[in-house]
Amino acid sequence: MRTRITTVVGLAALAATMVACASEDDSDEAAQPDGPITLDYWAWGTSQDGLVEAWNSAHPDVQVRRTDAGGPSDSSAKLVTSSRADEAPDVALVEYQSLPAMIVADVAMDITDHVGDLSDSFNEGVWSQVTFNDQVYGVPQDVGPMALIYNAARFDELGVDLPTTWEEYAQAAADVRAADPDAYISTFAPDQFGWFAGLARQAGSVWWEVDGETWTVNIDDATSREVAEYWQNLADEDLVDTGPILTPEWNAELNDGNVLAWPAALWAPGVIHGVAPDQAGDWRLAPLPQWEDGNPNVAFQGGSAVVVTTSAEYPEQAAEFAAWINSSQEGAEVQIETGQYPASLLGQEATLQSDPPELMQGQDEYWEIAAEIASSTVDEISWGPNVNVADSAFQDAFNSAVTDGTPLVDALAETQQVVVDDMRETGFSLSNE
Amino acid sequence: MDPTTTDAAPSVQTGVPRRVTKPRRQRRIAPYAFVTPGVLLYVAFLLIPIVYAIYLSFRGLRVAGGAALGRREEVFVGFDNYAKALTDGDFLAGFLRLAVYGLIAVPITLGLALTFALLLDSGVARLARFSRTAIFIPYAVPGVIATLLWGFLYLPATSPISDVSEALGFGVIPFLNGSTLFVSVANIAIWSGVGFNMIIIYTSLRSIPKELYESARIDGANELQIALRIKVPLVVPALVLTGLFALIGTLQLYGEPTTLRPMTSEITHTWVPLMAIYRDAFLRDDLSLAAAASVVLAVGTLLVSIVLLRFTQKRAFGE
Amino acid sequence: MATLTRPAVSRAGRAGDSRAVGASGKLLPTIVLLIGAVYCLLPVAWVLAAASKSRSELFSTFTFAPGSGLLDNLRELFAYGDGQFLMWAYNSLIFAGLGAFLSMLVSTACGYGLAKFTFPGRSLIFYAILGGVLLPGITLAIPQYLLMSELGLAGTYWSVLLPSIISPFGIYLSRVYAAGAVPSETLEAARIDGASEWRIFRSVALPMMVPGMVTVFMLQFVGIWNNFLLPFIMLSDQRKYPLTVGLYTLLANGSGQPALYSLAIVGALLSIIPLVALILFLQRFWRMDLISGGLKG
Repeated sequence: MRTRITTVVGLAALAATMVACASEDDSDEAAQPDGPITLDYWAWGTSQDGLVEAWNSAHPDVQVRRTDAGGPSDSSAKLVTSSRADEAPDVALVEYQSLPAMIVADVAMDITDHVGDLSDSFNEGVWSQVTFNDQVYGVPQDVGPMALIYNAARFDELGVDLPTTWEEYAQAAADVRAADPDAYISTFAPDQFGWFAGLARQAGSVWWEVDGETWTVNIDDATSREVAEYWQNLADEDLVDTGPILTPEWNAELNDGNVLAWPAALWAPGVIHGVAPDQAGDWRLAPLPQWEDGNPNVAFQGGSAVVVTTSAEYPEQAAEFAAWINSSQEGAEVQIETGQYPASLLGQEATLQSDPPELMQGQDEYWEIAAEIASSTVDEISWGPNVNVADSAFQDAFNSAVTDGTPLVDALAETQQVVVDDMRETGFSLSNE
Repeated sequence: MDPTTTDAAPSVQTGVPRRVTKPRRQRRIAPYAFVTPGVLLYVAFLLIPIVYAIYLSFRGLRVAGGAALGRREEVFVGFDNYAKALTDGDFLAGFLRLAVYGLIAVPITLGLALTFALLLDSGVARLARFSRTAIFIPYAVPGVIATLLWGFLYLPATSPISDVSEALGFGVIPFLNGSTLFVSVANIAIWSGVGFNMIIIYTSLRSIPKELYESARIDGANELQIALRIKVPLVVPALVLTGLFALIGTLQLYGEPTTLRPMTSEITHTWVPLMAIYRDAFLRDDLSLAAAASVVLAVGTLLVSIVLLRFTQKRAFGE
Repeated sequence: MATLTRPAVSRAGRAGDSRAVGASGKLLPTIVLLIGAVYCLLPVAWVLAAASKSRSELFSTFTFAPGSGLLDNLRELFAYGDGQFLMWAYNSLIFAGLGAFLSMLVSTACGYGLAKFTFPGRSLIFYAILGGVLLPGITLAIPQYLLMSELGLAGTYWSVLLPSIISPFGIYLSRVYAAGAVPSETLEAARIDGASEWRIFRSVALPMMVPGMVTVFMLQFVGIWNNFLLPFIMLSDQRKYPLTVGLYTLLANGSGQPALYSLAIVGALLSIIPLVALILFLQRFWRMDLISGGLKG
């Protein structure tokens, strides 16, 4: 099995080389620059300018030009189309969940030879998100271990206890409703695919499994169905709000103090601070509630890696850039300063010396809690080659379920069906019925 | 308007010189020189893309060899994409939604535009210049921005309309839920389109010879009768054309629901056909299916336009 | 109601229907039009109020209440991404201005050629263009992108500019206008005088077609300025975005970044102003009746 994959990857590499040869006079496998070169880098977010600046001042011969091609989903979509047109940038930021799709679409290049020795700079769970069949396709930049952030001032005011398990969370949700009929503990947002996937992963479900060449899709397995039923109950009993989040509507409710918590990931404080700056200091970070008492494992939500594209003219330099911004001291400093939680161990250690984010002013142990959470992440990835298909199918199915009042488990089954059909049509071998 | 331009208002002429002068070489070549830039661009950016889309619609990306993360290759797939598009319940449901939306948006846009145009033309309204300009202003607001503005006016927590209805005891108006959603999306199109259509109809009204009204008045007709019996029939061509554009605009509905989508659970990725096409092309990286669906949509638009023109007695585009 | 009184005043050269009408007869039309005006201005009033609000005021104070953050919002908008907003405005101006101008030239020449000459292929071209008018332009955006990629133009200014130049509707309008406004006798006379076809077009036909050209220019300018999908698909570098796509990206940020509503709202306000001004200015020159004029009969 292994050999088959290697052959395919090898052929792809050969094809890439032939293209490179055709366009370059150079007959080396990868072109070597004569003088200073410029790399194009597509990335979203507030950290990127600082990272690029740090790299550029330390590497005068390899200058990087950053382009914001839109948020994660727009940027990935454009990356695929531009790569087909051979217009892709040399380096690009990609969400972990899109990485398998990028490999299948022949966008992400195998950079094992350039960055393979970086594995020690990351913990196993993080590194596994960029490694497929022992081949490395990217360098992790930031991670989003899932965590609970909550408005501690409002929790105190309403006399609600901080939940540590999902069972307690349901109780806390009821307490909030009883204490203030206008408020909800949080919102069940039916369009948050990555969020729900993270909760299902925390509960132990592996949505995409691969054994040799055969995939198994488990989006509607028993564990995921239990997670869906949990939220179904909360929604049915009106203990959580349902609807999209981060809309003007939700933001207004948040500012009014009617949204008390957000189970999300370590990047959440920056988002809330952007929407409700007046609540700085009111919020606190806590570990995500657990499905089983005593099992602190959490999954990731969001987070991204830097890939070198197959259109890159200078893969070696591009990989060097990807490695440096994500594993150097300089890079880590920029990341922390701009609110990213670094993927590298070095970066995560550096956070311990930092002040808490503005939203959490006064929570001095913020970074210790964050480090604790990050060290409890599940060490296995579960994304398949068509997460993009699953994402939009999930959003449509769950939105309809919430709107029409049909069971969430049916929406889960519908998503599963779309994903399975798509993989089968594309030609992947599947063990699903 | 000054009389010379009114005289020049395009009446239907054959456009062919009546007297044939002695043929000159330059005269045979000249028309080609004039139309060449337009024709070249037409071929390059309309015709070739259409042909290319048709070609693509018969192709598909498939994994060769079945490896776990195998690279996909483009192959010929026959009518697979058409079969998929035409049996896709979501894609077809999108057309149904378009129909509901169109039934709200088109008549109201045209009805309001015609009413406003007639009132402006009656010459009796005060502050007419102000009203005309105000009603025309939304034409200058891009759809994406218009949707953002209306989005804020729809969402209960930020809506002044809901503030008012709550104060009156009617509660919050669920603009973005249930069947109200259609009205809300249509409203954005109506808001953007009324002014433009009003101006087209209004300028058509102004080019009607005034003597027609005079004789009707002498016969004892009142203003309303004049409006309904003389003015409206004379601006039917303008109404047909604005109706046609409104219809084509309906089939192209995309920006408004896309911008509203993050604000409500009701709008799916396939709410209208163009959204489904965008999803297939970019979110699912299935350009071939998107191409097939585009061909279906384009053929549908042409059919609807032709039917509309037939129904309206070939009044439009006729020579 | 019907009286035989001649009009006391005839405004702007129009006579016959602005007659002496009682106060009640004026009231209803005035009120209906004013309701329409208020309806159309309501969101504009909202954007004015919202643009003045700081980030926390935006979601916490009454919708139409003015806020205290206008200057901060402006400063933040102009500072965003090293002054990207001005770049977007500049790009919009280039796409819309240059695109509409070229489109006007191409359409005018083509329309004149189709209206004033008989030549083999004329009907074919005319019907092809009519078909183009009916085709939803948006469905072509994706094949156009792939085509641009083949040409190596995807992501460049050209990829948005070139498809914007061809406007079947503009050609159709120009043809209708040329047929009506340029008398064939005048052209014949010029030919008898020995003028070349190019010279006849430039010195005789073009001046007669100016109102039609202004109309085509305006329609194309607004169309390109407001276009979203084409630049959204073609461009990936935010430095090349027009305003519509730029403002959209402020709203559609990643999970780690909140939507920049305040900036998008101020940006929306600033992007509406020039277009409204342009339309108000050119309103006097264009000939909207053209659009339906060709349909009579």
